[in-house]
Amino acid sequence: MKKLVGCLLVVVMVSSMGLMAFAEDIELRIAWWGSQNRHDRTIKVIEMFMKEHPNIKISYEPSGWNDHWTKMSTQAAGGNLPDIMQQDYARVEEWVEKGMLHPLDELVESGVLDFSNVSEGNLSGGMVNGKLYAVNIGTNSECWLLDVDAFEKAGVALPPQDWTLDDFEKIALEIHEKSGIWGMGDGIDNEQRWKSNYLSSGTWAYSDDGKALGYTDNQLHIDYINMLLRLQEAGAIPSRADEVAEFDGQGVEAKAIVSGKAAMDYMWSNQIVAVWNAAGEDRNIVMVHPPRTKGGTAANYVKPGQFLSVTAHSKHPKEAAMFIDYFTNSVEANKVLLAERGVPISSVVAEGLKPLLTASQLEMFDYMARVEQDSSPLPPPDPIKHAEVIDNVYWPEFMDPILYGQMSVEDGIARFRELASEILAED
Amino acid sequence: MKGSSSQDVIGKTVEPSRKRKRHYRHDNLAGYAFLSPWLIGFVLFVFLPIAASFFLAFTKYDILRAPRWVGLANFEKMFTRDLRYWRSVKVTFFYVFTAIPLRLVFALICAMLLNTKRRMVSVYRALYYAPSVVGTSVAVAVMWREVFGKEGLVNYILAGFGIAGPIWLGDPNTAIWTLIVLAAWQFGSPMLIFLAGLKQIPPELYESASIDGADRWRKFLHVTLPMLTSVILFNMVMQMISGFLIFAQAFIVSNGTGAPMDSLLVYALYLYRQAFVTFKMGYSSAMAWVLLLVIAFFTAIVFKSSQYWVFYESEGGE
Amino acid sequence: MMKATEITQAGIAEKEKKKAQKKQLFRAILYHGSVGLLGFIMIYPILWLFAASLKGPEEIWVNMASLIPKKIVIANYVNGWKGFGNITFTTFYKNSFIFAGIGTLLHVSSSALVAFAFARIKFVGQKFWFGVMLLTLMLPQQVLLIPQYIMFSKLGWVNTFAPLLVPRLFGHPFFIFLMVQFIRGIPKELDDAAEIDGCSRAGLFFRIILPLIQPAIITAGIFSFYWTWGDFMTPLIYLNNPKLYTISLALRTYADPAAATDWGAIFAMSALSLVPVFIIFIMCQKYIIEGISTSGLKG
Repeated sequence: MKKLVGCLLVVVMVSSMGLMAFAEDIELRIAWWGSQNRHDRTIKVIEMFMKEHPNIKISYEPSGWNDHWTKMSTQAAGGNLPDIMQQDYARVEEWVEKGMLHPLDELVESGVLDFSNVSEGNLSGGMVNGKLYAVNIGTNSECWLLDVDAFEKAGVALPPQDWTLDDFEKIALEIHEKSGIWGMGDGIDNEQRWKSNYLSSGTWAYSDDGKALGYTDNQLHIDYINMLLRLQEAGAIPSRADEVAEFDGQGVEAKAIVSGKAAMDYMWSNQIVAVWNAAGEDRNIVMVHPPRTKGGTAANYVKPGQFLSVTAHSKHPKEAAMFIDYFTNSVEANKVLLAERGVPISSVVAEGLKPLLTASQLEMFDYMARVEQDSSPLPPPDPIKHAEVIDNVYWPEFMDPILYGQMSVEDGIARFRELASEILAED
Repeated sequence: MKGSSSQDVIGKTVEPSRKRKRHYRHDNLAGYAFLSPWLIGFVLFVFLPIAASFFLAFTKYDILRAPRWVGLANFEKMFTRDLRYWRSVKVTFFYVFTAIPLRLVFALICAMLLNTKRRMVSVYRALYYAPSVVGTSVAVAVMWREVFGKEGLVNYILAGFGIAGPIWLGDPNTAIWTLIVLAAWQFGSPMLIFLAGLKQIPPELYESASIDGADRWRKFLHVTLPMLTSVILFNMVMQMISGFLIFAQAFIVSNGTGAPMDSLLVYALYLYRQAFVTFKMGYSSAMAWVLLLVIAFFTAIVFKSSQYWVFYESEGGE
Repeated sequence: MMKATEITQAGIAEKEKKKAQKKQLFRAILYHGSVGLLGFIMIYPILWLFAASLKGPEEIWVNMASLIPKKIVIANYVNGWKGFGNITFTTFYKNSFIFAGIGTLLHVSSSALVAFAFARIKFVGQKFWFGVMLLTLMLPQQVLLIPQYIMFSKLGWVNTFAPLLVPRLFGHPFFIFLMVQFIRGIPKELDDAAEIDGCSRAGLFFRIILPLIQPAIITAGIFSFYWTWGDFMTPLIYLNNPKLYTISLALRTYADPAAATDWGAIFAMSALSLVPVFIIFIMCQKYIIEGISTSGLKG
C-alpha cells in the first residue's frame, strides 16, 4: 500500500512538473535608449510580439542615452543585465571582450534568427572576431544636408555626389560671402570626421589590433584642421565657442540649418526626420554624401546605427533571439517602428515600408540606397580605449586648444599622436 | 521659571550653574537609543559600500570585469601624470571659493530683506525660492543656455548698458561664470535656513536693544549676527561640502563634457566620466577618497575656528 | 488765541504725519521696487520655461529668446502628459508623490531623533559618530553607486521602492546637523524647567524640543521633498519597470539628442513638475515664519 501511494505521489509530482514546464511563462527584460517617440513605437512592437507569443512576457526599461549606459554598466556589475539590450557600434567590441554578450551564431544556424533577406554587409558590423553578437536594427550613414533654397539664393550650384573637401571649402566660403549666413553648420570637427577622412584615403584611424593609430601620414589631418581654421576665420562656419554654446548637446532640432542660419549641415542620416520636422515641411532639403578626400573613396560607410544584443545574463537566449528576429523581419512591426532608428536591414521590410514613408524618410531611404552603391567598406569597431582617447585627448588636449587658437596645428598633431598612442598601447 | 530669559545671556559671560551641570551627565543608553536610527542605517547600508569604494581605490576596475589590485598606481597617476586632474582641481577650487561666498551673502541679505511683515513678502519669498526648486532637470540645461546664449537675457541686459556680451558658454574664460551664477541663483536653500534662524531670534532681544538705544546697524551687529552664528556655521559647512561635490549643474551647463576646454570640468564631473564613460571605476574611487580628505580637512578648519565665533544660546558663551 | 495755537500745533502734527507717511511710502516703493525687480530677474528663466512650454515646435528653436509665444499651443501639455507606452504622467506623479512624501516623512522624523542625541545628550563616542556622520556626506555619490547596487541586488530589492525608501528610515546627515544647530539654540533653562516638572527624556524631546524647532523641521521637510522630487539617480538604477518611474526619471527618457525629441512636451512637463514643490513651499511658509513662541520662557 505504501509503495503504491509512493508511486502515485511520484507520478503526480513528475506530471505536474511537466505541466508547469509547458505552461511556464517566459519572462524577458529589454532595455533601449531613445526619446518618447521611439519608446512609444518600440513598446507597441513589444505588445504586438507578446500577442503572437502569449507565453512570453517582456518587460521594458527605456532610458535616455546617457542614462542607458550608466544603468547598463551598473546592472552588469550587479549581474543583473536585461535579456535584450540595445547596443552601439562603438561599444560592442568592449562588451564582447568582457564577456557580457551572448554569441548568436548558433541561433542563426538553428533558424531562430532568419537573415535570408539581409545582406552580409549589414551583419558584419555586429561581428567581433568572426562571431555575431549584435543584430543591426537600422543602418545609417554620415551625410550632408543641403538647403536648396539657400543655395539658390546665393547662386551656388548643388555639389555632385563625389565632391571633395576643396569643393566644400569653396562652396562654404562662397555662400557665406554672398548671403552672410554660415555656409556650414556645426559638428564637422568631431572624431567621426577624422576617422572618416582617413577611411576615405584608404586607411583607418586605428591599427588592426587597436593598440596604435592606424596611419602614419599626418598631413591629411593637418590639412583638414587648417581648412577648419580658415573657415572659422572667415566666419563661414560657427566658431568653436559658438559650437559649444549653441549646438553641443542641444538636440538635432537646434541645428543651424533648421533656423536658416546655415546652408549646409552635417549629421547622421536617420536624424533628417527630426531636423526636417523642426525646420518645417515646406523646406527644400536634400541629402548628399560627405565631401571626400582628393582621389579617395567615399568619406562615409554603411554603419549599423544601433543593435540589439542578447546579454550573457539572459536565461532565455532562444526566446530573446525570437524577439530580435521579429524586430528584424516583421513588416507589420516595422510599419510601427517606421525606420526611426535607421533603414531596416531586411530588404523585404524596407520595400514594405516604402509606401508609408514621408518626404524626409524617403530622402533617407534613397540616400542609403545611393550610399550602398558608393561607400567605403565598413571599418572595424573602435578599440576599447577609443572612449578614453576621445574623452581625455582628442578634445581637451588637441582640438579645443587648436580651435581656440592656443596651440598650433603641428604641435597639436604631435601631441595627439603621442598621447593617443600612449593610451592605446596601455594594457 | 520666572524672569529667566535669553536677556540674561546676551553679552554676558554666564557662569556654569550647577543646574546646567546636571544635563552634562553621561547617559550612554539614552544617547545611543536616540542615535540608533542613524547608526543602524549606517552600519547596514552605508558602511559596506564606503569600505568597498575605499578598496576599489587601490584597484583597476572596469565595471564589466572583476577588480584587479594595483596598489598605489591610481594615486601615482593622478598626482603626477594626469593634467586633466589638476585642471579639475583648479576649476573646483575656483568655484568653491567664488560661488559659495556669493551664495551665502545673497542668501543672508535676501533672508533679511524678506524677514518683514510687509505686504507681498510671502510672494517675494516664493519668487526667490523658486530657482532652487527648478533643480537640474533636462529643461534647465536648455533654459540656461538660452539665458546665456548669444542673444539671451544676460547679453540683452548688457547691451542695454552698451556692453557687447561674450559667448558665455563657448569661451573658456567666461563659461565658469555661468556656473557660478547658476549656483548663486539657486540660493533659496541657505536663504530658507537663514530665515528660519532669523525667526528663532526672540523679539525681546531686539526690544531691549532698542531700549538701549541701538540703531538698525548696531542691532544687526550685536543681536542678529551673534544669534545667527550657529546657523551661519551650518550653512558655511554644508555649502562648502556641496560646493566641492558639485556635479549636476556643471553637467547640464557643459552637457556632461566639461567643455569648453575643461573650463567646467569640476572634480565630480571628471570623476563621473572616469567611472562611467571610460570605465575606470578604480581610478574614480581613488579620486573620490582624495576629495573626501580635502573636504574633511577644510571642514575641520571651519569647525575648529567656530569655537571663536559661534555662539550657542543653550551654552551661554562669549 | 488758544484756537490758533491748537490749529498750529495740530497743523504741525499733521505736517509731521504727512512727512512720515511720505517717507514710509518712499521706503515702501524702494523696497518693493528693488526686491520686486530682483524677484523678476530671479524667476525670469522659469518664466522662459513656461513660455517655451506654450510654443509650438516651429517656434521653440526659431523664436527662442522671447517670453511671449507667437501662438499659444496647449498641445505640448497634452502630448507631454500622455507619457509613453500608455504610461501617463498620472502614474509618474503618483510615484513621485509616494517617493517624495514617504521619503520626506522618514527623513525628517528620524533625523530629529538623532539630532536630539547629538545636541542634548552626552554619551561616549559622541564626537566620533558626529564626525563619521559628516564624513559620509563628503563622498561623491557616483563611487558608491555600484557597491550599493550590488548590495541591494543581492538583497533582491531591485525594481522596488525599497532601496529608495529604506535608507531614509535612518535620517540624513544634512537634516541631523541642521536640527542639531537649532536645538543648540534653545536655552537649557527650558530643559531644567521641564525636568523640575518631572518630564522624562522622551517627554522633553516630544513636548519641548520638537515644537521649538518647528521652523527647522519644516525647512528640512521642504528640502527633503524637493531633493527627492528631483532625484533621478536612485530611481534610474533601481526602478526597472517604467510603471514605477518617477517624474524626474520619466522626463529624462523623453530627451535623446540624437533622435526626434518633443521639446515642447519636455518643457511643459518640466514646468508642471515644479508646481507641487512650489505649492508645498507656499503652504509651509507660514510655519517657518511663525517662529518659536518664547512665551514658554517667561512663565
